[in-house]
Amino acid sequence: MRAVAVQAAPVLPSGLFERLAWHWRYNPKLEFWIAWYSMVFFYNLFGVVFVGMTRVMPPPQPWWDTPRVVQWFNDNHNGLLVGFGIIFLVSGLTAACNALIGYSMRRMSVSRAFAYSYIAIYSVSALPGMLLTAIALTVGAMRPERDPELIYWLYDMGFMCFVGTMGIFLIGTLVWMIAILIDKNRVLPKWFGYLNICNLITEFVVATSWVFKKGVFAWNGAIAFWVDTAVFAVYTVAFIYLLRKMIKREDFGDGPLPA
Amino acid sequence: MNRDDGELLLFWLVPVLGVTWLVAFLVFPGFVHPMSPTMSAEQVAAFYRDPENLPRIRYSMVVFNWFCIALIPFVSLIVMQIRRMSHRTPILQYCYLGCLTGGPVLFFIANLFWLLAAFRPERRPELTQMFNDLAWVTFTGQVGFLVAQCVFLALAIFLDRQARPVFKSWVAHFNLLIAAALAPASFVALFLTGPIAWDGFLSFWVRNSAIALWIVVMTLVLGKNIYERRREAGIAR
Repeated sequence: MRAVAVQAAPVLPSGLFERLAWHWRYNPKLEFWIAWYSMVFFYNLFGVVFVGMTRVMPPPQPWWDTPRVVQWFNDNHNGLLVGFGIIFLVSGLTAACNALIGYSMRRMSVSRAFAYSYIAIYSVSALPGMLLTAIALTVGAMRPERDPELIYWLYDMGFMCFVGTMGIFLIGTLVWMIAILIDKNRVLPKWFGYLNICNLITEFVVATSWVFKKGVFAWNGAIAFWVDTAVFAVYTVAFIYLLRKMIKREDFGDGPLPA
Repeated sequence: MNRDDGELLLFWLVPVLGVTWLVAFLVFPGFVHPMSPTMSAEQVAAFYRDPENLPRIRYSMVVFNWFCIALIPFVSLIVMQIRRMSHRTPILQYCYLGCLTGGPVLFFIANLFWLLAAFRPERRPELTQMFNDLAWVTFTGQVGFLVAQCVFLALAIFLDRQARPVFKSWVAHFNLLIAAALAPASFVALFLTGPIAWDGFLSFWVRNSAIALWIVVMTLVLGKNIYERRREAGIAR
């Protein structure tokens, strides 16, 4: 098979749609940018749904009595069902984020085993990260007349799946961290490697939420929730920024495509 | 046996699995006339306690438990086609790979909830109803990975700019159409009646027909590609 003759890219036109059309046709980094914008879109939507619509972040109290839990579901009925409907719909976008991170490891001076194990581990990360929570709280919200004890059980399932599921993120972060720290190509800075350690440690700390129902170690506590979420937010913003830098640095030129 | 012959083995698993899934689908009494979300806890419990239904629920779900994950090798063959496309990076291939496990694993979880509901149907009806709800919401609502998979494949086909692209562009449009057909099912829990409810026109009939149609059409275009490539490479059938 022969490569298609290369067309010289015309000058970037003005006007939003013309520019988008130009990028679609000529931008040699289009595949990267599709994945990067999917990731940014996903994390923004995640924030809107979990904070604004479903009120899952910050989480309600683990020590409420049953009527208060039922009331929480009733207060947030539509927010939960619509918000998690959106999450069910866009959950596959997490694959774009994992693909970019996997690619960053392909560029490093490390074995391909790192990229492959990261993509394999994170291909199911949406389940403990959000989907199991979303399923439990959706089922909790869909029948307000359900036995309150069962609604309470779904509430526990929802929040413990959200805060207390750790291993996938622990091992996934560990794989990326090792790759960054031993990489000689300087694809990502070393300080970010160390930031991975912070994210990794939070995964140990949140284990306390399985034991404590009150105080700083409970699922809504200052340590198990707030410190954990703050670290995760800094970590996420950092890697979104660094992946953008990585894409900008890639030098493809505009040569012919591989056939 | 050369390395491409192995792909043929995986490919010919698909029709076998298709028949298995169709039989299991027809045997499960909750699918033939999809169970209504408006059933009371007592009615749901009676459905599982019915001596006519119970073995059919268990056997069909055991079959799904065995074979639902078997979709992954098939979709991996599509990854091999994406690898052959004229892309600058492996990003879309990784995106697609990252979606493969999601759909079947979520179906697997729905399947567990159904099996648990059928394990001790003599339990309190409210408990059986809760497991039944968990099963249906997981089964119907979890279309995100399938939607993303279709969209990523469509993008990969559009960006495969070579004289003889791996898939024709209608395959991309077809995948986008399937993605659109699956999308409404995400909002399954919002309504207990109407087209979005889990027994409704969009969430049950359109969604499940779209998945079946996708498997059939993708099997055909994939088979055509695999056999054409073998002919070109001069490998005897």
